[in-house]
Amino acid sequence: MPLLQRLLILLAAALMPWLAPAAAASTVVTTEQVRAELLAHAPEGIAPGKPLWLALQIEHQPHWHTYWKNPGDSGLPTTLRWELPAGVTAGEIAWPAPKRLPVGPLMNYGYDGRLLLPVPLTVSPAFTGNSLEVKASAQWLVCKDICIPQQGEFTLSVPVQAATALHAGAFAAALAAQPQPVATAQASAELIDDAKALRVTVSGLPASLQGRELDFFAEAAGVVDHAARFDARWDGGTWQVRVPISSQRFESPARMDAVLVQRGAVGGVRVGFAIAGMWPAIAVPASTGAEATPAAAALPPTPALGFGLALAFALFGGALLNLMPCVFPILSLKLLGFAGHAHDRRGLLAGGLAYSAGVVVSFVGLAALLLVLRAGGEQIGWGFQLQSPTFVAALAVLFTLIALNLAGLFEFGTLLPGGLASLRLRHPLADAALTGVLAVAVASPCTAPFMGAALGLAFTLPGAQALALFAALGVGMALPYLAASAWPGLARAMPRPGAWMATFKAAMAFPMLATVVWLAWVLGQQTGIDGVAGLLAVLVALAFALWAWGRIDSGRVARAAWSACGALLLGAVLAWALPTWHEAKAASPGPAADQRWQPWSAARVAALNAEGRTVFVDFTAAWCVTCQVNKRTTLGDSAVLADLDARQVVLLRADWTRRDAAISAELARLGRNGVPVYAIYKPGQAGPILLPELLRPQVLRDALASP
Amino acid sequence: MKMSLLAPLSVVLACAGGATFATPAAVGQPAPVFSTTDVDGKAVSLTDFKGRTVVLEWVNPECPYVRKHYGSANMQATQKAATAKGVVWLAVNSTEARHVDYKPPAAMAAWMKSQGAAATATLIDADGKIGRAYGARTTPHMYVIDARGTLVYAGGIDDKPSANPADVKTATNHVTAALADVLAGRPVAQPATRPYGCSVKYADG
Repeated sequence: MPLLQRLLILLAAALMPWLAPAAAASTVVTTEQVRAELLAHAPEGIAPGKPLWLALQIEHQPHWHTYWKNPGDSGLPTTLRWELPAGVTAGEIAWPAPKRLPVGPLMNYGYDGRLLLPVPLTVSPAFTGNSLEVKASAQWLVCKDICIPQQGEFTLSVPVQAATALHAGAFAAALAAQPQPVATAQASAELIDDAKALRVTVSGLPASLQGRELDFFAEAAGVVDHAARFDARWDGGTWQVRVPISSQRFESPARMDAVLVQRGAVGGVRVGFAIAGMWPAIAVPASTGAEATPAAAALPPTPALGFGLALAFALFGGALLNLMPCVFPILSLKLLGFAGHAHDRRGLLAGGLAYSAGVVVSFVGLAALLLVLRAGGEQIGWGFQLQSPTFVAALAVLFTLIALNLAGLFEFGTLLPGGLASLRLRHPLADAALTGVLAVAVASPCTAPFMGAALGLAFTLPGAQALALFAALGVGMALPYLAASAWPGLARAMPRPGAWMATFKAAMAFPMLATVVWLAWVLGQQTGIDGVAGLLAVLVALAFALWAWGRIDSGRVARAAWSACGALLLGAVLAWALPTWHEAKAASPGPAADQRWQPWSAARVAALNAEGRTVFVDFTAAWCVTCQVNKRTTLGDSAVLADLDARQVVLLRADWTRRDAAISAELARLGRNGVPVYAIYKPGQAGPILLPELLRPQVLRDALASP
Repeated sequence: MKMSLLAPLSVVLACAGGATFATPAAVGQPAPVFSTTDVDGKAVSLTDFKGRTVVLEWVNPECPYVRKHYGSANMQATQKAATAKGVVWLAVNSTEARHVDYKPPAAMAAWMKSQGAAATATLIDADGKIGRAYGARTTPHMYVIDARGTLVYAGGIDDKPSANPADVKTATNHVTAALADVLAGRPVAQPATRPYGCSVKYADG
């Protein structure tokens, strides 16, 4: 190496301490690891329409390598920056097919040995001169077991009139090493295994590749788990590969390009494919529920109903609550009880009024509590009780208790202290009122049809009006019972009491137990399998204790022993189970497992709308029965799904099973306060289209079709 | 209602397979827990920092990209700003002991001190267990774990993948942005980005 060049290298090194020694401008830059040279290829001279190529040739020292456009797990691709005269423009690097370069558990894609990175140039008539003066600045990262970023400045003068073909062989070889598109090739890809892998299918590959072992190189850097094993197989003339997706993916492309290379051969083919299926959002929910998303908070709530109409809706919605599977057994038994007392009109009416009072007071009490909590800044909504695992477990215990009572395992009379039992008998009004409270407790989470809009409005109103709305809801719910107690004709229409009543009562235990199954499932969503196991153990202990306490056939001492046993067991199991009923730390609940659905975020809706995609959002919760019914029926309907796919609607699910400030804020913005809510966000439209809570396929499809 | 049996199953498989690179940490999932000793010989476990936000920084003093961020004082400034807000910062060196870049604990401690680093602790992970559990590929490679122990960020220190310290001024620091989101209770806007730098110098296999 000439002394001057050596000095220049030292000077450059002194000026740029972050770079390894690189050379001042020339056609060749040599470092300890590589020899880099700028080459030109203009076999017909330089003129518009004539082929003109420049290339950076890198000769690596043994064991050293530089990187492809997708460098794999680490490394950086080589970059070229050009300074060209007017009328000459440089294209992109025509990357030769790369090699797999494993480094410990990591996988890099790159090159060793001799490499040529050709770049095509375009010459327009605006270019004049006798020679093309080229300046190029190149940066590359060269690695062995250590990595060195290097840079080189290059200048080159290419004559215009004469042919430049000194390196024709090298350019020809480089272009032969280019992965080529194949006209006959057809490639497709779909996300499989919960988007943990991509299945790519390629047919129509050239005969020379048929049946060969092929390496798959994705051009996008942020998608593939480069170091994982790619399982590939030939099926006749079709090649299929399972490409594992990186768990730290940072891109979600709708299309990808990839290079297929026969192992050990030069060159390859380039295929492009669309990716079928939805990428799950990479987003992570906020860690604290302190704040709503600013975008959602900035928008004013939009009540959609007048107050009078809302009252009517609340009344009707309340009446419908009586048909919920959890409320119906209690109520039907109470109504049947009327038949036996049809003669006591006053007693009946008083009972009906007491029941109604119990219902209305509970509703208003719950609503008042909700209003107070919200005034205190809590982001909660209707159904919030069921977001507490302990409350869900307590409900399950209550339902089991009722079911065991209906089934005849025990009578409340034998358990309650004598005084209390007679109190209950002497005060049937208190009993009726408590039945009302119980009915509200079990019915409140089910946001029945029409209730969603009424409740949403309630929380945008002044306190008194809001409470009036809830009172209306309570009156609606109490109405059928009250009617039956007020008009004996109605009560007389009921079947006569008789032995069949006992059978009916026992049969009604089963809807109750079914409700327990549902509650256990909700608890499982909130806490995990330990919480459910704890609950089931408590239920078994409860059943044992009730059976032990209710034993009347044995003597006093034996009874006391049995009772002590029951109490001890129940206490011990409760102590064990209670700690399991707190919210699980586990990150993603059920919805993430569903390929079609992705987790919701307000930002994601906005981003998708900005891309011109229509978004359908399912605001749901595990404890919401209506939600689950819709999910199974309408949202599982094949015609609906086909329609959604055809319109390329992105499906997002906002899961409110646990408390979530962002979802509460969005519900408030939509004028709702409970789930389910179904909303279609179309690009370029001011607000979303809200669909009815009882979602029918045709309604959803019509809404999608509307402009 | 898809009650997935895959989740518990994959946990079982992960345990059976030991600490392989096959199932590294994923954003949105619980961050893998680890216990090791720091350069001062003190026991450090991720569970020590329950309820606090934790940053993991993969570091190798011999890597030019690490030197870019320490030489420009960018990494130290990011560390200081984070720890001042109560964030725990753990610098992890997963270089294997036979590699030319390897620094024994005392040398690693001295280097961090000479750089004026403000990490809460510096961990030596010469067997690469922590690095493999997190799928750390480059130095630097950055991770943020929220107070619930969920991995909420994985990726680069910033958005200018170069070795040039001058780029620090114009780059967007992803870690600073992610921490701002986490501490404000917002979802992290960019939870996964491109990590760039030298490969982590793991032992083979």
